[in-house]
Amino acid sequence: MNTPPHERRRILLHDPTLRDGHHAVGHRLDADQLRAYATAANAAGVPVVEVGHGNGLGASSLQIGRARLDDATMLTTVREALTSSRMGVFMAPGWGTSDDLAAAVRHGADVVRIAAHCTEADVTERHIGVVRDLGAEAQGVLLMSHMTGPGGLAEQCALMVRFGAQAVGIMDSAGHYLPADVAERVRAIVDAVDVPVIFHGHNNLGLAVANSLAAVDAGASIIDATARGFGAGAGNTQLEVLVAVLERRGVETGIGLREVLAATDVAADRLMKAPPSVDSLAVASGLAGVFSGFRRPVLQTARAEGIDPVDLFLALGERQVVAGQEDLIGDIARQVKAAAR
Amino acid sequence: MAADEQRLRVAVLGAGLIGIDLVDKICRSRKLELALVAGRDRDSLGLRRAAETGHPTTAGGIHAVVDAGPLDMVFDATNADIHAEHWTALRPTGTTLIDLTPTGLGTVIVPGVNSHPPAARRHLNLVSCGGQAAIPVLYALSRRCTPSYIEVVSTGASASAGRATRLNLDQYIATTSAAIRAFTGTRDVKVMVNLSPARPAPPFRVAMTVLADGIRPAPVRTSIAAAAQAVRAYAPGFKVTSLAVDPGRISVVVEVTASGGRLPRHAGSVDIINAAAVLLAEQSAAASRGRGLHP
Repeated sequence: MNTPPHERRRILLHDPTLRDGHHAVGHRLDADQLRAYATAANAAGVPVVEVGHGNGLGASSLQIGRARLDDATMLTTVREALTSSRMGVFMAPGWGTSDDLAAAVRHGADVVRIAAHCTEADVTERHIGVVRDLGAEAQGVLLMSHMTGPGGLAEQCALMVRFGAQAVGIMDSAGHYLPADVAERVRAIVDAVDVPVIFHGHNNLGLAVANSLAAVDAGASIIDATARGFGAGAGNTQLEVLVAVLERRGVETGIGLREVLAATDVAADRLMKAPPSVDSLAVASGLAGVFSGFRRPVLQTARAEGIDPVDLFLALGERQVVAGQEDLIGDIARQVKAAAR
Repeated sequence: MAADEQRLRVAVLGAGLIGIDLVDKICRSRKLELALVAGRDRDSLGLRRAAETGHPTTAGGIHAVVDAGPLDMVFDATNADIHAEHWTALRPTGTTLIDLTPTGLGTVIVPGVNSHPPAARRHLNLVSCGGQAAIPVLYALSRRCTPSYIEVVSTGASASAGRATRLNLDQYIATTSAAIRAFTGTRDVKVMVNLSPARPAPPFRVAMTVLADGIRPAPVRTSIAAAAQAVRAYAPGFKVTSLAVDPGRISVVVEVTASGGRLPRHAGSVDIINAAAVLLAEQSAAASRGRGLHP
């Protein structure tokens, strides 16, 4: 395919390696690691580099995991490394507050994502307004989006646009979607709103890149992708693969392949012992539709209680747990153990 | 009936999920008389339902409440953003204002912990539903050890959280944290809130983690059981569902279901704060008996 550049569609790649990747390492990245990857991503021309605790601003806690660095240190470190890339942050109302948003913008956040569970977009009203008032770009994202249908997602996205969101979209937080699911949902959202539409994939069923491509073909124009797929569970859409795939598709990303390969090699060297892989537990969690960020606490709890983590993931799926409900993992593990006796 | 003549005349301001249930609970009280239900939208479900069940209603908000005086007590079940205006309007009237929004502006009350406010206090605040569920347990624990850190994560069913609750999450977190600090003397406090869309809707759940040195398991367990028993006297659906006492760390989970009224079972968050509000009003009624609230 050799479409002339001026005729090509342009997609914005949003890189949450330094936020979602935190889930893979218990939120323990240090300042040197943040600086190294932010510098590399900036040099590669990655448009937005997102940073923070895995669950975003204000989420460092015993419940979700304590970050090595506080929010201010993480943001300041990454901000100093970015000369052309914009800095992104993520916050879910109930985990963080408006004070966290104000601090993040003060520390140089340009793009602020306000997140809610896929049926609860009305909790974003206050905070999307706060981000707009602070003068940053406000985006609205729906978590665990497989838990409702295309119509519901379109409605919830339209609501966030009404609150002031300048881009809206969905996260496949459990890595549960097939490409056709993504295409149907993204189309419904594109039809319902007049702002760019976001897709954020996870790779539990090995489909993150395919799902991201389906989202692009269905009209999404902001796609999340991380170096080596560094992220919760089986990881995210792999950035360097997506850049190559979109090149083949004739879609412009503004990122050169050689440059992004160099940047993601830095991530592989500095951020992770090994890239995320689709192991048995990741498949079970994706099929059960459970938040990818539960992987580490599920493994720890299953080990402590002497039960199979796959059984625990399936039980959590049956209980329709959502992101933030880590306190239920222990209770449900004990129920699984009791039922097995 | 002589007892009836001494009922306190009260009004409910706000006709959302909290206000609707408050109306029910006030009607079941033998010490309170519901004089007015005030909202701002005549067509709202809450005002229509209150009118259908024969209660005087108004869409005139706080001004109608002030005009309806003299009232002994007003329950504010509106929204943290407008509560301060309500206090400004009511302050000169001598009416006691019980605030169920998470402003933390008035004297903060948690039954069983500081149930008997000085009679001169006319502006009372009930923290938040999560605060009402967590503080009795955390206060009891703080008598048994000196926490260095307290974390509280509350999860309510999506259907139990109305628009004001969703808009007021920041105030909910700030007010609940401040009240936990004040009642336990612990500086480092973290509060988080989740909404669960699961079906069937799950009960209101509050998970607490306390880090402290020198924890002695037996007295800790006894204190928690006693605190839970005391809460059940006014909120019967309150239950400790999980308790782990480890060296340096106490993890306790309580769940609250609603019972006895028209609230769905999962709406324990509404039940516990409203039960606390009505109990507080009834205690004030007992305290003021014979004094004549409106001399």
